[in-house]
Amino acid sequence: MDNTLIELMNVSKTYSTAAGDFTALKNINLKVNAGEFVGIVGKSGAGKSTLLNMINGVDQLTSGVVIVHDGGEKISVHEMSEDGRALWRGRKMGVVYQSFQLLPMLTLIENITLPLDFSDNFKPRESKARAMQLLELVELEGHANKLPAFISGGQQQRVAIARALANDPSILVADEPTGSLDSITADHIFDVFEQLVSNQGKTIIMVTHDSSLAGRFSRNLRITDGELADEDDSAESKVDKTMRRRKK
Amino acid sequence: MMRPRWIKVFHDLWDNKARTLLVVFSIAVGVFSIGVIAGAYQIISNDMSISYAANQPANVELRTIGFNQDVLGSIQNTHGVLDVEARRVFNMRVRVAGTEKWTTLDMVAFEDFEANTVNLLIALQGDAIPKKREVVLERDALNHIDVQVADVLEFQLQDGSTKTMPVVGIVQDTAMGAGDFLASPYAYITMSSLQYLRQPALYNRAYVTVEAGGDDIRHIRVIGADLKDKLEKNGTRVIRTRFSETYEHPLASTVNAILGILMALGILIVFLSSSLIANTLSALLNQHLRHIGVIKLVGGRRRQVFVMYLVLIMSFAALALLMAVPLGGQGAYGLALFISSELNFNILGYRIVPTALLIQVAVGLLVPLIAGLSPVISGSRITVLRALSGDLTGDESQPQGQQQTRVSWFDWMLIRLTRMLALRGIHFPRPFIISLRNTFRRRGRLILTLFTLTMGGAIFIAVFNVRATLHDYIDSIGKYFVADVTLDFDQPYRLREIEQMVMQVDGVAGMEGWQFVSGELLDANGEVLENINIFGPPADSVLIEPLLVKGRWIRAEDVRKLALSEAAYGYFPNIKPGDHVTLKIDGRAEDWEVVGIFKFVDREGVLAYAPYEYISKMNNLANRSYSFRLITENHERSYQNAKAEELDKFFRERGFKVRVAQAGRATLDTAVESLDTLVMFLLIMAILTAVVGAMGLTGTMGMNVLERTREIGITRAIGADDRAVMQTVISEGFVIGAISYVLAIILSIPFTYLLSTIVSLAVFETPIDVVYTFMGYVIWFGLVLVLSVVASILPARNAARLTIREVLAYE
Ligand SMILES: Nc1ncnc2c1ncn2[C@@H]1O[C@H](COP(=O)(O)OP(=O)(O)O)[C@@H](O)[C@H]1O
Ligand SMILES: [Mg+2]
Repeated sequence: MDNTLIELMNVSKTYSTAAGDFTALKNINLKVNAGEFVGIVGKSGAGKSTLLNMINGVDQLTSGVVIVHDGGEKISVHEMSEDGRALWRGRKMGVVYQSFQLLPMLTLIENITLPLDFSDNFKPRESKARAMQLLELVELEGHANKLPAFISGGQQQRVAIARALANDPSILVADEPTGSLDSITADHIFDVFEQLVSNQGKTIIMVTHDSSLAGRFSRNLRITDGELADEDDSAESKVDKTMRRRKK
Repeated sequence: MMRPRWIKVFHDLWDNKARTLLVVFSIAVGVFSIGVIAGAYQIISNDMSISYAANQPANVELRTIGFNQDVLGSIQNTHGVLDVEARRVFNMRVRVAGTEKWTTLDMVAFEDFEANTVNLLIALQGDAIPKKREVVLERDALNHIDVQVADVLEFQLQDGSTKTMPVVGIVQDTAMGAGDFLASPYAYITMSSLQYLRQPALYNRAYVTVEAGGDDIRHIRVIGADLKDKLEKNGTRVIRTRFSETYEHPLASTVNAILGILMALGILIVFLSSSLIANTLSALLNQHLRHIGVIKLVGGRRRQVFVMYLVLIMSFAALALLMAVPLGGQGAYGLALFISSELNFNILGYRIVPTALLIQVAVGLLVPLIAGLSPVISGSRITVLRALSGDLTGDESQPQGQQQTRVSWFDWMLIRLTRMLALRGIHFPRPFIISLRNTFRRRGRLILTLFTLTMGGAIFIAVFNVRATLHDYIDSIGKYFVADVTLDFDQPYRLREIEQMVMQVDGVAGMEGWQFVSGELLDANGEVLENINIFGPPADSVLIEPLLVKGRWIRAEDVRKLALSEAAYGYFPNIKPGDHVTLKIDGRAEDWEVVGIFKFVDREGVLAYAPYEYISKMNNLANRSYSFRLITENHERSYQNAKAEELDKFFRERGFKVRVAQAGRATLDTAVESLDTLVMFLLIMAILTAVVGAMGLTGTMGMNVLERTREIGITRAIGADDRAVMQTVISEGFVIGAISYVLAIILSIPFTYLLSTIVSLAVFETPIDVVYTFMGYVIWFGLVLVLSVVASILPARNAARLTIREVLAYE
């Protein structure tokens, strides 16, 4: 059975700047299967964020196709309008960035319900319950009514993850989610992601600059000057790894 | 649980109270001023005519020498006349028994108060119907005499002796003094009291209402002319006639014109406040780019973002309406009440004017909507990437190519200039140069702020100029009334006799005897066009300095020649010296030659001057006169008053039949007072515009400081102290204030011209020459400096309070 969830075909991205055109992604081809925990590494400026922004539809590509499978449907991310992508992203894809991106005037629980509201899935009672459940998942249930400014950076990032999960998307993309955290906190956050893959079967694509984490991903990708390379030997082994992790 | 997006909107509204207040006040100022003026306009234009018409105003007023019951009967029997009431009107000096100060009242004697059908009196207090030897006062009299019902008044007779009558009531007479700013207050007595006051039991005025066509001024004039003919055939000379429509208050057009000017200023305020709102909202959206990015990242679509900010703006609007609508309604009523009491008509009570309410709501909702539309649309269109990239959340938007070169061009100029000045030994303090650069960074915002502040300043200055212009005009009109004291008698006296007498009074330097004749101006078919009053000063009079527009002034040898006021252009647009006009005088048509045309208040109708030398012969009063104009050694009002008093006493004691002795400036001063009331309203509007300007500046400075938080933090980090930070911010406000001042000076010139023209056309029906005064410029200079410093102090203090930690947390 074809287990492909995300498919990038000949994806290129060229930025036009005052200094001339700059190609940040060169002809990327990538398939990600459901249940994979993909780690992307690469030097600063290599194109990691650009690649993630192609997958979640935050940025537009210059050429190529990004397909995301949803049940039997194949969704071509870049054929949708900006609004269409926003709605699709809100429902189907959790996004976590390095800076925590919480709205400062909303409490944690309100921040978490935000995607439910914008994807027209908001139901006062159930949404609140859902948000509490997610806060429990990230072990912050005691802080539900605090404002983001009153909790630590690591806690804020956990809220951001909880928010990304609000609509229960099967895919999570995270761009250096631990980048601005100390190593112990970062480890905690990484645990959360690992558990999401193993306990909930989420598919996660994570950009990180920490190559020591390589062993904990089911698959490792490296971007060098806009070109993508698989770190692992074969496609088989990565699936095996994933399966193994799940059984554990 | 509420939807989190509305929770965010609520916090946007609630958390930044300063910003919310700024936006709400900006909207409210516009809504308030429009509401006040639109409401007052509605109330007045409706009630003024209704209240006027309700009291059966006379369509024709005939002022005559004495006539009796028989003549009255013949007026009543004239075709087209509905009702007529005859009265005797004469003035008397009055004071509260036991006090010193005399006041001149116009005494009005009624035949029968119960049968009052024309110019109805409205009872206000006490008894509206006086009995023999009782008096009822018009309410305006209370502004001049400190008297209450049941007090006793002393009335001065010709010979200086006094009679007393108690005040039994207060009434309002909306018709009699309407249209005459300068009328003396009225007092009402019965015809049976006349003898007591040694007045003949004859009428001298007839108040007539017409049967039909009360709204057709031409028809009214025809009936008036018929009546005049009839009276003169009976031997009753008609001195003056006045015509008015039933449903048109004589001052309606003036009031409407003035309200029109205020409305124009109100619209301007709305306009200015909308630029202020646009400024604040675009800064708000700018600060919220990151929030919009987050919203779009978690699935928010353009429309949802748009609606969120629309709701925010509408909440600002709703708060503003909540505040401004009731206040505006109260203000409208207050303004209407004020105008109505000034002009002696009644308004039909407090009410909500639906049109004004609608206008307020429309302005309150539409103005912020329009002002906020463009920033909200572009804010909701922003892509996640751009919103979150931080490019736009910094202190400066991604400069577009063109703007970039312009800014550097400006910097280049600035550097050149400072260098050049430095070479000559002129050094600018550094904070000043930094401020100057800061000022020019946000061009759009700078332009909007400058615009508001400049408009406020220009109007403020212009209002002072308008005031100077009006005063100057009154002064030039005063040149037709140079006399220090006017002395009128009830019978003619020889010039030589009066001259000998007045020279015995200390301080009198000269005297002239004047005469008058009145007639009608006829058109080519012999139809009456208008009344004309011909003044007959001596040809070499020193008491008149005419403003000749064409031709020459009168000469002693002129026979049937006259100088006409510009109002004649209303009937003969091409009239010029050498042309002839036909006048009807004493029932006969005569041909007069126009020798000159002079400037005068057109509202007063057609005036003319002809030499005393000729007029006195016409009147068969050679070397005699009823009316004398005196020059005193000192021309101050108080001195004039004292001399008038003295002369009055002097002549009465010697048995002369003095009618009135009056200070020359008395009437002019009254005119100046009413004009100053008008100027005060203009000034209130000007201050409102200035307030909007100052709010704009505060807002701008606040936004500038907020956006430069990071930069200020860095300046602090490299050692700038509180003082230095505050200085930079305040000098920036100062620079904006100074630039707007220069622009306001320029703009005030057309504004002065425009406002003066509109006001003078409304009030005098004559365009007048504009006069500039330095006063407005000086006051505004001080005000704008204070405003701009005050407007920057709060933001500057905020800037100085920022610690480096907060600055970094801001990111
Ligand atoms: N909006 C942009 N405009 C121009 N160049 C960009 C833009 N965004 C990224 N780049 C360039 O593309 C390259 C890849 O960027 P990015 O994907 O952010 O790198 P990283 O691997 O560090 O996440 C960099 O050289 C960066 O300078
Ligand atoms: Mg990156």
